[in-house]
Amino acid sequence: MKPELFIQLDRVIHEKGRLAIMSMLAAALELSFTELRDALAMTDGNLTTHIKALQQEGYVTVAKTYQNRRPLTTCSLTAAGRKAFAEYINLLEQIVRQNKP
Amino acid sequence: MNPNWAEENLQTIRTLMERSAIYRRALAPIMLFAGLLGAAAAAAGLAFHLDSIRAFGVLWLNTAVVAVAGAFLIARRQAVKDRENFWSPPTRRVAQALLPPLTAGMCVSLVAVCIVGNDAGGGFNLLLALVWLLFYGCALHAAGFFMPRGIRWLGWIYIGFACAILCFSAVVQADVTINAHWLMGFFFGGLHLAYGAYLYLTEKKNPAA
Repeated sequence: MKPELFIQLDRVIHEKGRLAIMSMLAAALELSFTELRDALAMTDGNLTTHIKALQQEGYVTVAKTYQNRRPLTTCSLTAAGRKAFAEYINLLEQIVRQNKP
Repeated sequence: MNPNWAEENLQTIRTLMERSAIYRRALAPIMLFAGLLGAAAAAAGLAFHLDSIRAFGVLWLNTAVVAVAGAFLIARRQAVKDRENFWSPPTRRVAQALLPPLTAGMCVSLVAVCIVGNDAGGGFNLLLALVWLLFYGCALHAAGFFMPRGIRWLGWIYIGFACAILCFSAVVQADVTINAHWLMGFFFGGLHLAYGAYLYLTEKKNPAA
């Protein structure tokens, strides 16, 4: 495998938990905190840490609203997050192609 | 490092994206509610002899409206309880898939009930029930692309039985003497109850639904 492709992989997305969050958000446009937590079987603290890391990178936005007088936290990908995710997948596909005999 | 890690990562991404796009509200309470309502409507139709086309149409169209409203409220209650967005993208996709066949079925029924009135023959109720089965089956099948757990199969059961009864009556060239309330009770009551019970017994083992 050419190491340059591996080096180009976005380190923020490449972590298992953050990759799972990005994948879920890429398909669903927006998901609530509890949906993400339950679907990925993460703890509140773990999910919060990952989302903060993605927020700092500008990949995810978090909106806090109310539904039926209950707080509702929803997460969605930003344009930058969507672009970074697409580039990450492109690189993975290149690596797969390169590894095939 | 596993040489297939990139392929495995892509597979994981694909699985997660598919899971994310699927409607996840628990369907068992909705199916059980629809089943109980269907059985109650069939019992009312049989008990009060609501056999005229208008009475039959009004009874079952009202039942459908109550069933849709009830399903909406149950799903919304689940979303609020779980602190999740009710009108989420998967919910929108399911609603968009259900809407065309259900609207078409409703339109055909209203035309039949209002225009044809009580002038048609006795077999008209049965024909109306079979048309509803067909449209409802199509609606379930369309929504099944965004829902787990065999909804598309349930859609095919409705479509298959409706087609079989229609073909049987056409080929044999005989009046099929099934009471339309019994037919509706069996499919919109019994089948929903059976499917709801199946989901109720299996959903706990597989919370992904």
